[in-house]
Parts: sequence; structure tokens; C-alpha cells
Amino acid sequence: MNKEFVVKWKSQVKKGTLSFIVLNTIGKKELYGYELIEIIKQTTKIEIAEGTLYPLLNRLKKEELISSKWVNQESGIPRKYYLLTKEGVTTLEEMTAYWKGLESSIKKITNHGI
Amino acid sequence: MEFKEIQFIDSNAQRVYSNYIQSIKNATKQLYAEDSLEILMEFNSHLYESVQNKNSKSEIDILLNAIDKLGTPEEVLKPLVADKMLDRATRSFKPTDIFKALFLNIGNGICYIIFGILYFFIGIFTLSIFLKIFLGYRAGLFYSDDISFIGYTDDNNILINEVLGNWFIPVMLLLNIALYFIITVALKLKRSINIKYKNK
Repeated sequence: MNKEFVVKWKSQVKKGTLSFIVLNTIGKKELYGYELIEIIKQTTKIEIAEGTLYPLLNRLKKEELISSKWVNQESGIPRKYYLLTKEGVTTLEEMTAYWKGLESSIKKITNHGI
Repeated sequence: MEFKEIQFIDSNAQRVYSNYIQSIKNATKQLYAEDSLEILMEFNSHLYESVQNKNSKSEIDILLNAIDKLGTPEEVLKPLVADKMLDRATRSFKPTDIFKALFLNIGNGICYIIFGILYFFIGIFTLSIFLKIFLGYRAGLFYSDDISFIGYTDDNNILINEVLGNWFIPVMLLLNIALYFIITVALKLKRSINIKYKNK
């Protein structure tokens, strides 16, 4: 097995799907950064570089797919919650439809060949 | 919203934390105060939640682990700072902001290099104004059927005429202001077109 190739390929797949994973997770409920990272780690087993998640959230926000709000906490250290915008919801629907198409195509290829 | 420091029992943990907070402040000092504060508060919240949610290890271990995973602020905040700096530059129209923003974004696409070159032309035109002030008829806008240029000549037998005379200075000044405005508006438009295009 070409380990190096597989490592690179996994990293590309991860990079390409991270925004889809993030939008899906926020789509289920409003989440703050730390919570979002923990849920992604637990459900996908993907080890994400936590620092890179915040620039990604900023990009999604700039593209108006998500919005954010600060919520005060008893500790005095507020949490910044993220939620999907209307545009985010429709964009995620479109992405999900594409993903399902891709999934079934890959299944066809891996199960039966061409 | 106000930034509130996390208090640690372990003095070493407090020191490591303070150093990390200081590096976030340093990495974002070029931004508007509200943008810088927003980033600082979000990273602070992340560190706080990390410490709160892991009770098994010592404070310093949990903190070091969280900091390791977040990464060095200078590195990890680079794309965020570059983007917010561009936003600031196209709002403030300040040459220093524009210079910093282009420098930070130079690796983000050829268009930023092109914008850099366009601003460089303004620099050249500004220089030509000073040449005109100090060198008089040897500098300016030269025009003939064979050759035309803006700049300076040391040829004593000038066969081509400098066409604007002292008008060269106000004309170039106005041209520079207009160009600066047009290029900066184009940079702003480029950003908003980018966002709209990506959304489609």
C-alpha cells in the first residue's frame, strides 16, 4: 500500500468535505465553536485542526451561509453560537442532493465496476 | 461585549495563558478594534470551554493541549487577518491599510498582484511630480510622433516637447487621486463579486 498517497488523499477529502460537515452539524442545532469541534470529532472520528475551524466559520459567515450571536454565560466568558441562515439551509439542501448522487455513483463503481 | 481573562489556580498555567492571549493580540493588532476583540473573545471562549470540559488532567496539561490543537495565532489566524484587513482597507481607503492588505493577500490569487502593480503605477506617477518640481523642463509628459512618455530625460538636445509645462503637477495630482479611487473601488467590487459568485 502507498501510505503517503492515502494520507494525502484523506487530507484532500477532509478538506473538501469539512464545510459540508460543519453546515450539517450547525443545521441540526445552534452550536458554539468548541461544542461544534467536539461533536464533529465524536461523530466523524475526524481529527480537525481546531484553529483552522474558526477561519472556516468566518468564511461561511461572510458567504452568508451561517450567522452568529454572542450569548452571555454565568462565568462572564460568553459563547459565540453559530446557526444556519435561510441561504445556508437551501445551500445545504443542494449540497446534500449532490452528496447523495455522488455516494450512489461511488457505490455503483466500487460494487460492480464499470 | 467585554473580554474577561480566565483565572487559573496554577501560576504556570496563568503565565502560558497570558502569553497565548498576547500572541493573539499581536497577530490581530492591524485590524479594527472590534474585529480583533471578536477573534480574541472567541479563542478565549474556546480555551475556557476546553478547561471546563476536561477534569481528568492538570490545568497546565489541559491548557497546553488546547493551545497545541488551536495552533500558533500568527499561523492559524493568517487567512482570517488577511481577509479582515482587506475589508478594512476597502472601507478606510487608507494607503497604509491597502499596502498591508495586499501584502497579506499576495498569495491568495494573481489578481492581488495585479492590484499591487496598479498601485505601483500611482507611486511612479507621484515620483514624476517630484521630478517635475526639482528638474523642471527635463521632467514631465513628453510627446512626439515617435516617442511619448511620462518621466525624465537627460538628453540635452531634446527634440520632443514636454507638453504640459507646470500644469503637469496638478494634472498628475488629479490623475493620481482619480486612479487611486478607481483602483480601490475596483478592489472593493472584486471582493463583493467574489462573494456573490461563490454563493451561486
